[in-house]
Amino acid sequence: MSEILQVKSITKKFGGLTAVNGVSFGVKEKEILSVIGPNGAGKSTLFKLISSFMKPSDGEVLFNGKRISNQAPHIVARKGVVRTFQETTIFKNMTVKQTVIVAHHLRSKANLWGYFVSTPNARNDEKHFGDSADEILEFLGLSSMANEQASNLPHGHLRALGIAMGLATNPKILLLDEPFAGMNHDETMKAVKMVRDLRKRGLTVLLVEHDMHAVMTISDRIVVLNFGTKIAEGTPEQIQKNPAVIEAYLGHEDKEIGL
Amino acid sequence: MKVKPHTESGLKTWVGLAALVLAMGLFYFGIPALIAQNPEVYSRYYTTLSGIALLSMASAGVWLTFYIGRINIGQGVFCLFGAYISGILVVNYGMNFWYSAIWAGVICSLLSFLIGLPILRLRGVYFAMVTLISTQVATLVVQNLAITKQGRSFALPPPAALTLPGTDIVVIPAFTLEGAAVGFYFAAITLMILTFLGLYRLVNSRIGQLCKSLQQNEELASSLGVNIVWLRLVAYAISCFVGGVAGAFYGAQQANLNVSLFTVQDSVNFLLYCFMGGLNYVVGPLIGTITLRLGWDQLSPTGEYQLAIYALALIILMFILPNGLMSLVEEGKKWFIRPNHRQKLQSMSAQKPVKTVAKSAAKKRPKTAAKTAPKSNKGRK
Amino acid sequence: MEQVIANGLFTGAQYALIALGLTLIFGLMNVLNFAHGQMFVLGALFAYTIFNHIVELGWFLGMTPWLANILTFMVALVATLVFLAFVGALFERFLFRTVIKRSSRDESTMLLAAATAFLLDALLPMKHVFGELSHSLPALIEGSFSIEQPWFSDTPFYMPYSKVFIGGLALFLIAGFMAFMQYTKPGRAMRALAQDKIAAQLMGVHVDRFTMLGFALGAMLAGGIGALIVTITNIGPTAGSSFSIKAFIMVMIGGAGVVGGAIAGGFVLGMMESIVPTLLAPYDLANLSDLIIFAALMIFLSFRPQGLMGKPWG
Ligand SMILES: Nc1ncnc2c1ncn2[C@@H]1O[C@H](COP(=O)(O)OP(=O)(O)OP(=O)(O)O)[C@@H](O)[C@H]1O
Ligand SMILES: [Mg+2]
Repeated sequence: MSEILQVKSITKKFGGLTAVNGVSFGVKEKEILSVIGPNGAGKSTLFKLISSFMKPSDGEVLFNGKRISNQAPHIVARKGVVRTFQETTIFKNMTVKQTVIVAHHLRSKANLWGYFVSTPNARNDEKHFGDSADEILEFLGLSSMANEQASNLPHGHLRALGIAMGLATNPKILLLDEPFAGMNHDETMKAVKMVRDLRKRGLTVLLVEHDMHAVMTISDRIVVLNFGTKIAEGTPEQIQKNPAVIEAYLGHEDKEIGL
Repeated sequence: MKVKPHTESGLKTWVGLAALVLAMGLFYFGIPALIAQNPEVYSRYYTTLSGIALLSMASAGVWLTFYIGRINIGQGVFCLFGAYISGILVVNYGMNFWYSAIWAGVICSLLSFLIGLPILRLRGVYFAMVTLISTQVATLVVQNLAITKQGRSFALPPPAALTLPGTDIVVIPAFTLEGAAVGFYFAAITLMILTFLGLYRLVNSRIGQLCKSLQQNEELASSLGVNIVWLRLVAYAISCFVGGVAGAFYGAQQANLNVSLFTVQDSVNFLLYCFMGGLNYVVGPLIGTITLRLGWDQLSPTGEYQLAIYALALIILMFILPNGLMSLVEEGKKWFIRPNHRQKLQSMSAQKPVKTVAKSAAKKRPKTAAKTAPKSNKGRK
Repeated sequence: MEQVIANGLFTGAQYALIALGLTLIFGLMNVLNFAHGQMFVLGALFAYTIFNHIVELGWFLGMTPWLANILTFMVALVATLVFLAFVGALFERFLFRTVIKRSSRDESTMLLAAATAFLLDALLPMKHVFGELSHSLPALIEGSFSIEQPWFSDTPFYMPYSKVFIGGLALFLIAGFMAFMQYTKPGRAMRALAQDKIAAQLMGVHVDRFTMLGFALGAMLAGGIGALIVTITNIGPTAGSSFSIKAFIMVMIGGAGVVGGAIAGGFVLGMMESIVPTLLAPYDLANLSDLIIFAALMIFLSFRPQGLMGKPWG
């Protein structure tokens, strides 16, 4: 299978601190790949580099063989590489459905002027986005809250809304930063199933996650970061047995690897 | 559940249309009829009201920059430049006033691209302060150019007739000295109505949604593929176009330009009009400008105490309606809300303790948001 | 050249004090206090009035004029500081606090600040307040310090004693304020508040009390510097807003909400105002200097919004 995304010895320095240090790996189409590592390992930074929210200090990211680093984030999103945020980032004063409709922006056929004068294309978009938003909300179990203010949603649903926004952009690769954080076991398992369903829709999913149980269940492959450096890569079974990984996690007493 | 939003928005449309027709009737027929009752006393209101209409236009521009999340204290720049660009085109180049006003708007929006490219990256106070300084710079520029006569008296003729290009068919007759006040009144209210209709359309189209997403979280918007730089520039350019045109008409109405036509004070005033009207409603700047300007005008018999009373009234208004005059509408909705709907809201708030309809939620929100996401936007501005 | 630099330093010290008060209020409350310049004018005219009421007392006691002047001025200065602190505290307690609590947007305070600025602009020139005229105090100390042949220029260097005295006082106030912020408990509490309100609250800092103290201090600094400047130049009752704008600019140059930045900003602007006209004079462009200074600052801030010392995005 061909690699849809290639990360090539990418490095990010913040002053003296090297947050990501020469990390390389590839992602195959329709794969679910998790990036794990202790707090501050550079996982979120890696995602920001891939989605081009930050410029790498060195190295590059290729999407379908073409370089996407150093391009504006909205252009990278347009090409199909879309991230969600680690923090619960939402548009506070919009309803859930409005939010998802806005997130359809990339699919619009009309331009700004078209929307202003309401051309047939624009009206078409409008209707299409509404239907598609309904469908996405249905898929993620948010239908009953479509008309709620986003800021009033409980935490678990906010995560889902984040994913809904990502989906609405019609991405090829979705980067999820800690999508299960703050969920209880049941909610997590539901969300895991949801991510699997994403793949069925033809998406490639990259995710950062601390919940090891979820990671081990869901991932095809795992990349492990520690202090910005890749220390391991492989299937969940391989990672669980990897001495370097165990070492890295034992260094942090509050984390446990395994089930 | 699914039907409700439709009926509500349908109702809103009808109420809006009725309000528009009423307002147009009032502006085009009601007020001239009232003034005709006693022209000697009342005809000065033509000038006052056209001033208000033009200033509310400029405020609408400020409101639009608010809508993309920027506090703009620089509208005075574009009003001042608009007035001078039109004046120079008319006096030095013999252009017809009506065309010159459009050129004023176009040049102002081109200029806004140049200025906007660097400064629209700034947010919060940073943008506010840089735009504030820009007003000062504009004043100094006008004071130092020969073409603006160093910002001293720059006399303008009344607008000439506008004919259809290539024909002799008169679209707008030439303004006479005596009739200019009335002429400007109709021109100003027409422009004002066009501006606010345009703004309403903009805000209620997808562009408005995009602007709103920008206002609330630029990073998130760009992760969804929104070209935030472009959108900001477009919104700012529209704002400056409106400011430039308003300035051109305001200057022509005064028939005499000088540097104190629009100062830092005016830039701040535009902001106040927006605040006072309310930032959540398109008509906010209109209501704010009318209230404050007309109020200011009515206080003029108090002479020495005019400013003091005005300031006190502002402070008292801030206490009663800290979220602007239009927040009255929200309060009203709360009272007149349909009983079954109210019940539903209550049951919803019972379900989730986070959700409260009343004011307390609005107050709590910033705090909880800051607590759960210390790195979010709020801290950064 | 020495003259230019000395003047720049002198103006800079005054400006720094104005900016300090403003940045303190901004840092603590996120309020752009449009009335800051009006506070400054209030201080100036208040000090002027007090001075004129009590200066004859000193003469009556048979003091030498300069001693009487200085003692009287010190009394007037202290009275001004106390009065302005009181005014500032009242403003915070009864106006800003209420509006901040009631309104749903931070920016509403801008409207309130502008309204208070209007109010002061209206009240100060009234007949029964200070009247419409500009005022300045006579030089506190006669004579001046001069060097006939300075090292770097042909014209003699000249600095009135009263300016030296006032400059010294300004520096003393700055140092006192910095020491207060650095070494006292309230000072530290305010810095904690400015840095992170919620964290400070969790650590047990009494937010309301220290916010009020901060606003009072800010107004006090503005008033104090008004009292100092009124001994040097004429101050009119409506000069406030132009000082507000300058104060904003200085705060931005240094970095919004950063105390050290405000001082730097004050000195930078003071220096620029002194040096730029001198540099342009040979080309007959001196009247462009304001334009050049403001335009330069605008460009600087467009590309470095955090100013000299601020953190990015405050
Ligand atoms: N904008 C920035 N400026 C400076 N340092 C940064 C910046 N962003 C991240 N860092 C630093 O880079 C390192 C990696 O941060 P990153 O957020 O990528 O970690 P992470 O693996 O996502 O951690 P967590 O599991 O806590 O989310 C941290 O030490 C962090 O402090
Ligand atoms: Mg992270």
